[in-house]
Amino acid sequence: MDFKDIAFKVVISLFAIFYYLYALVVSKQVKIMDKTLQDEHNGFILFVTSLQVTISLVILIIVLLSILII
Amino acid sequence: MENNNKKSSAFYSYSLNPQAKFDTQEDGEKVYLLLRSHPFTQIGWILGSILFFILLFSFNFFIQSFFNPGQIFLINLFFTIIIFSYIWFNILNWYFNVGIITSKRIIDIDFYAVLYKEITNAQLGRIEDTTVKSGGYLESFFDYGSIFVQTAGTEANVEFINVPHPSDAVQIINKLLSKKHGL
Repeated sequence: MDFKDIAFKVVISLFAIFYYLYALVVSKQVKIMDKTLQDEHNGFILFVTSLQVTISLVILIIVLLSILII
Repeated sequence: MENNNKKSSAFYSYSLNPQAKFDTQEDGEKVYLLLRSHPFTQIGWILGSILFFILLFSFNFFIQSFFNPGQIFLINLFFTIIIFSYIWFNILNWYFNVGIITSKRIIDIDFYAVLYKEITNAQLGRIEDTTVKSGGYLESFFDYGSIFVQTAGTEANVEFINVPHPSDAVQIINKLLSKKHGL
């Protein structure tokens, strides 16, 4: 394994971790915003936000698994 | 307020008598109008997102010789996620930055970069003046502009920037003020 592959794995892993943390922060903020303003589409907004958290978690798992394969 | 002909328009950016509620709402306080920025003013980030997708597509032709297929898949996955996050972030910014006109006051709810919250409100009895600013081809064509509500004393002024049908909104405010002052 050369330096380029190692660097790639480190960068992509850090990215996956930060994206997961970002999704969690956004999710928390959306809950605050939902409390501040309740409109007719808030259900959809909350659904997409929880979907984002789920996707970010799945991506984190994919990245960690693919690091072992690539 | 019931006689206003623009019931709800421009992708929920002008909602008359909406079902919306807000956290500091008092008992018996009725929401008459909910305003968001006109959808046309969001064109910047929409075009930006399309451009990012085109750049990502073009980028794939250059990276094929540097990375293996697995790595290319991961790079594409992440850039796609970044673009979708950017889109979602802007949608949230647009959706939760609202102006509300109720039977008791005018409220401006702003979330800066999703993280910072600022709520400004002006009691109807403290409002001194309302100004509409709308100028230029696009504002005239799509009928949007800004509303400035000036309050008495040290109370903060309320601003609704780039909202649809600003004249109709001010008409609603004026009707409420007349009602409040018994004119």
